[in-house]
Amino acid sequence: MGTNRKRLVAAAASMVVAVSLAGCGGDSGDGSGPKGQTDQEVTEATKGGAVFSLETAVTQAWDPQRTYTGRDLSNQSRLVYRSLVDFPKGVTDNIEGQTPIPDLATDTGQSNEDATEWSFTLKDGPKWQDGKPVTCEDLKYGVSRTFATDVITGGPNYIIGYLDVPQDADGQPVYKGPYTGEGQDAFDQAVTCDGNTITYRFKKPWPDFPYAVAALRSFDPYRADQDKGDKSKLSVFSNGPYMLDEKGWNEDSGGTFVRNPEWDASEDTNRDANFDTITFEIGIETEVIIDRLIADEGNDKFAFTSRSVTPAQYPQITGDVEARAVNFESPFSNYLVPNFNRLTNLKVRQALAAATNRAAYVGALGGDKASAPSLSIVNPSTPGYVANPNFGKAEGGDVEGAKALLEESGETLPYPIKLTYPIGSDATDKAFAALKATYDEAGFDVTLDGLDPSGPYYEQIQKPGSDSDLIWGGWGSDWPSVSTVIPPLFDSRVNITKASNGQDYGNYASDEVNAAIDAAAAETDIDKANEMWSEVDNMLAEDVAYIPLDTTKFYFLHGSGLENYVNSAGTNGYTDLGVLSVVDGGK
Amino acid sequence: MFAYTIRRVISGILLLVVMSVVTFYLFYASSSTPERFACGPKCTPTQLDTTKRALGYDEPTIVQWGKFAKGFVAGREFPDDEKLRKAAPEQVVECPRGCLGYSYGYSKPVNTLIKDKLPISVSLAISAFVIWIAGGVLLGITAALFKGRLIDKAIVGLSLLAFAFPTFFIGLLLLKFVAIRWGIVELPKYSDFTDNPFLWVSGLILPAITLALVYMAGYIRMTRAFVLETMSEDYIRTARAKGLTRRVVIGKHTLRAVLTPLVTLSGLDLAGLLGGAIITETVFNFNGVGKLSFTAVQRYDLPLIVGIVLLLASFVIVANIVVDLLYAVIDPRVRLG
Repeated sequence: MGTNRKRLVAAAASMVVAVSLAGCGGDSGDGSGPKGQTDQEVTEATKGGAVFSLETAVTQAWDPQRTYTGRDLSNQSRLVYRSLVDFPKGVTDNIEGQTPIPDLATDTGQSNEDATEWSFTLKDGPKWQDGKPVTCEDLKYGVSRTFATDVITGGPNYIIGYLDVPQDADGQPVYKGPYTGEGQDAFDQAVTCDGNTITYRFKKPWPDFPYAVAALRSFDPYRADQDKGDKSKLSVFSNGPYMLDEKGWNEDSGGTFVRNPEWDASEDTNRDANFDTITFEIGIETEVIIDRLIADEGNDKFAFTSRSVTPAQYPQITGDVEARAVNFESPFSNYLVPNFNRLTNLKVRQALAAATNRAAYVGALGGDKASAPSLSIVNPSTPGYVANPNFGKAEGGDVEGAKALLEESGETLPYPIKLTYPIGSDATDKAFAALKATYDEAGFDVTLDGLDPSGPYYEQIQKPGSDSDLIWGGWGSDWPSVSTVIPPLFDSRVNITKASNGQDYGNYASDEVNAAIDAAAAETDIDKANEMWSEVDNMLAEDVAYIPLDTTKFYFLHGSGLENYVNSAGTNGYTDLGVLSVVDGGK
Repeated sequence: MFAYTIRRVISGILLLVVMSVVTFYLFYASSSTPERFACGPKCTPTQLDTTKRALGYDEPTIVQWGKFAKGFVAGREFPDDEKLRKAAPEQVVECPRGCLGYSYGYSKPVNTLIKDKLPISVSLAISAFVIWIAGGVLLGITAALFKGRLIDKAIVGLSLLAFAFPTFFIGLLLLKFVAIRWGIVELPKYSDFTDNPFLWVSGLILPAITLALVYMAGYIRMTRAFVLETMSEDYIRTARAKGLTRRVVIGKHTLRAVLTPLVTLSGLDLAGLLGGAIITETVFNFNGVGKLSFTAVQRYDLPLIVGIVLLLASFVIVANIVVDLLYAVIDPRVRLG
């Protein structure tokens, strides 16, 4: 754990608030931040003004333990929910920006030697919006809610797999959450409060636990007297700088947050809280949002979005508008998986990997503003990312190499392949058609099988007996660690059952890889662990368990009335509301 | 007449029961995994199972329908788990008689959601109706009166154009240019009529025009055809021969004949729109029943889908009963059938 802790302390000590992205380019896997077209730096801000968030997708939950989308996790952290530790504000560097710093806690946590026990001491001072102090019991109650899997659905539940709570005959924890109180004693032994110090006891090492605490809201405090179960899904009871106004949250149109008078700026240095109010306007079509931001009129001067400019609108991003745009790699990667129940010949899988024409795929998606070819399933923004040498050149599409491999395979040619992917825009169809063209040229006979992602797609690909040969997948790490990429996708023990293959759409099962996953997960030195994860990635690549496709790029636009507009690494590349401000405070 | 009315009402109720069973089986008994949408994109098989149980989707469809039917007749409490309701009474959601279920996507009873959204869809439908009827009839008559002349060709040509463009295209076009780029009107936003009638009207202008244009195009064509057909009738020639003015011939004799089929058709169109105009509501971000149904399908929110389908079905059934009763009043022979 030594290196890990050193890194945490060093990062906390060397916090910087000014960062420039000018000239920042190349492979962001070297730790550099998002590649912006404009400089992103935090300058002194005037307090005041109103900002507006224009969004298409609704917020599925404001309940911290039920939130699982990158945009919402980031917004909640900066506006209303504080955590024991947090990622620093306004930092675009991927390493520094994704290293936890203290928030509600006095430090970034103390662990025992094998990282199976973590303790945090709560600061004096943080309060809820009704003036009551945030207590250790609130933290304990918050984490207990995840165990009520019949009520608290949709959120990440890593804690259930880690916390040292005995299991029943069905392999489920004996603790069933705070509502029925069943198994409460077992939970009370696993999570204890000693004054202001909370201690979590795990059944297996969790060396990057503070990263998970900073990235997710699962470990945030929750006040028991405010908990109405499912009825609290869209309720907010704040301990951050803002709180929901008296109108509350409308599930379809959004809501407005105003300043929380109980929040103390002197005690919380990771949230500048520059603007007075923020209004979320949701459910708007993406094209309309971009049109409004291009027009830059009225309140839209103070607006921003998490929706990327659509390829059809790229020609409009010029001149003044271009100065308000930023284009960089997102934390989300896309890939293909061969179905191991069908493609059992390694040479065939290797031929597919060689023939995958990433350049054509990216071109069809909208070019280098929409996407970038990738060489690993791990996103370049994730610490520990290494471009996997097994996948050759970034652009891919080695037809001759693929032909040779297919010849060696001994299979009858052309080799039939059913490629299943989620339908979306015309660009999506064109991108898969581009892949098919090169595959066919190399000796495959590809049938494209586009399915609706809101239903049939996952039903098809998660069936262990699926007749798909090659399947699309997309992923983003849950916290900045390879441990939230490879195990959820390729550990057959957590994925494959008779009824479903979980996230392991290719039905990949390797005892060797599973053992290597266990070893890497147990390594408490993060640098060493990263090397081990890299080795697991190599093992996967040698089996062609996946074929990397691309990293989605964000192409965001914002109004001219905003300043300190930064897409921090710690906010998943979304607008960092911890530093955002209005020009001259809106005066 | 009374017996006939009772017969029609009973058959309507039976039809609704059958509809509810069919809708339930159609969605609940399909091979889909609705729990995936509640569970989230990174759900493990174990989590999926737990979520399925929590949402009650693990029970046989007939049991789920039984609970639904009982809830509709006598009311229901959520969550389903009685143990949880006793242990955490603060979580209990009462859904009184007429209960259409509980949307786990919205964490609200379906009835509450529909009640909130219906005024928006009704406002949009009525305002569009006014535009398309007024515009459609007026322009249709004008085109007929100037048959073969430039004005006729222009009206017919433009109506064809409006008919050819999809609703979402017209909506986006109006939104992009009229509201955003030229700023002629404010960005459309629904306001409650009782809060501010002016804002209610101004917010509805663009969505209503979008919705009305397609219908209006059809009504122009129909009105034109009806007028031309009526004007070639013998009784119109007689009226002219009697020396009646053109105004009286058109206003009194022609229009009366033309309006009857138009009113019938427009009534049916309006009834269909009351359940929501999905595309228009989505383009303009109007959170009516149309957009609600779109979201319900996107999220695979089964109780909400079933609730909306039954609501729309009941609109159609009620409309049919009313029409049947009216026919019976007009033509007593219908009652005997």
